[in-house]
Amino acid sequence: MTNNSNIDIKHVAKLARIKISDDELPKYSEEMNNIIKMVEAMPEIDDELLVDESGVMDLREDKLADSKISRDEILKNAPKVVAGCVVVPKTVE
Amino acid sequence: MELYEYKASELSEMLSKGEVSSVELTKSVFDRIEEVEPTIDAYLTLNRESALSEAEKIDSRRASGEELSPLSGIPIGIKDNISTTGIRTTCASRMLENYTPVFDATVISKLKNAGAIITGKLNMDEFAMGSSTETSYFKQTKNPFDTSCVPGGSSGGSAAAVASMEAVMALGSDTGGSIRQPSSLCGVVGLKPTYGSVSRYGLVAFASSLDQIGTIARSVKDSAMLFDAICGHDPMDATSARRDYLPISEALDGDVRGLKIGIPKEYFGDGIKSDVKDAVMKSVKALESRGATVREISLPSTDYALSAYYIIACAEASSNLARFDGVKYGYRCENPENLMDMYERTRSEGFGREVKRRIILGTFVLSSGYYDAYYKKAKLLQKRIRSEFDSAFSDVDIIITPTSPFEAFQFGDKMDDPLAMYSADICTVTVNIAGLPAVSVPCGYSETGLPYGMQLIGRSFDEKTILNTAYAHELCFGGFKVPVIASKGVEL
Repeated sequence: MTNNSNIDIKHVAKLARIKISDDELPKYSEEMNNIIKMVEAMPEIDDELLVDESGVMDLREDKLADSKISRDEILKNAPKVVAGCVVVPKTVE
Repeated sequence: MELYEYKASELSEMLSKGEVSSVELTKSVFDRIEEVEPTIDAYLTLNRESALSEAEKIDSRRASGEELSPLSGIPIGIKDNISTTGIRTTCASRMLENYTPVFDATVISKLKNAGAIITGKLNMDEFAMGSSTETSYFKQTKNPFDTSCVPGGSSGGSAAAVASMEAVMALGSDTGGSIRQPSSLCGVVGLKPTYGSVSRYGLVAFASSLDQIGTIARSVKDSAMLFDAICGHDPMDATSARRDYLPISEALDGDVRGLKIGIPKEYFGDGIKSDVKDAVMKSVKALESRGATVREISLPSTDYALSAYYIIACAEASSNLARFDGVKYGYRCENPENLMDMYERTRSEGFGREVKRRIILGTFVLSSGYYDAYYKKAKLLQKRIRSEFDSAFSDVDIIITPTSPFEAFQFGDKMDDPLAMYSADICTVTVNIAGLPAVSVPCGYSETGLPYGMQLIGRSFDEKTILNTAYAHELCFGGFKVPVIASKGVEL
């Protein structure tokens, strides 16, 4: 059993691309550790997991279909657009 | 009696006989919204103009003799995490404050084809994460039975709108109790259908393996009518079930003779208020007097269900909500220094605390070294919970429990304690974990007049049995009771 009474919240938040300020840290740590304490009470179960045991997935063919939605309509929701393209900060120096 | 007070099944008949027009009905509902919305705050976006013009079209189609579906001309509210073309869809989050979808969810296309009138979009907990609708970025929806209390959540806007008659019916979504718990707290009928029976295409994903769109209404018949209209296979949802969906609403007769009811002792423990237990058992007795048989059963893993639920739901949420990165749509922070700064600040500023807490928890349980200790264990528990339900359903036809361990609580009561808030879902999460259908019906009131709810759980795809039993219960006790909406001592 792993003991996680001190999860590294800052590290996990970084993985999730969320910034947590030093002021917020104690509250998050406390809440998160309480939740972890609750879930650690789950019993050990000696069993195996099968992939998609319910068999409900019904995958469709991977082929292009016309969505009938125009590029302009879709770009209306983008935060920043120039010349029909979404603009983001420079990614390659 | 005003038009907005009628149930959908009554209105459907009045409309088809020409006793009332959809324009009159829609106007009546919007008048009601104008009257009580300042007190209740159920809606995030109103769709008045377009609703009235759709109602006009329905009226003229009816006048020309066209055969219309039972929902034609009936005003229905939609939870704000269901995609509606041209109508802002925010998930009650700053992240999607200005997001207007370019496509309809399958349930919306089905409702439009059936001629239903969309009144607007209803408040909810942010991204459906919460049990009180208090995590909404925009506003606090009030419980129509006591405006100092929460309506429950996450579909709190939907339940409050239906109870306060600001919509004839509403759609909600349920991942761990988000239709049933607010329905219980607002004294209305909330149906969470079997996983796979209603398409999730266009429902903004929280936990894809648990999410299910369902109905909130003021009567069991209305719930069945709305469910009949939205269920069915959809190739756009890979988990949608291919099967025959027989209409239920016309088949309800309230006959429960020979029905075997199971009462799981684990759902009547210390965490459940005794008045709630008494109200549920009184209801069960009434069903027994109509010819059902009752026996005690056991679902031993119930105590761990909440833990398994939070691990599975948060793990899936951390993955599903990774798409909100400030690039293609939604909120983006001001003047990002670089790409990483844009991701981090966009997500930190765009999401509220509960959403961030769940994303972080989900990221943690899936992170390297912890998968076996948390996620795998939770999935194994899920398997065990499912098999416990399977074996229970070999002995009984239906399982009855309380919906919520307590009635509606005051604003702020549980906001500082996530575990106390999570405990509001203790009776409902197992149903999502097992993928089963369940309906909550009003089954009594507290001394201060706040509703209690009873949950009826059925076998997979057996919505008919739970709705028919709920209908029998409604015949015994009368069902929905109209709240007196009062604010600051002034009756409206």
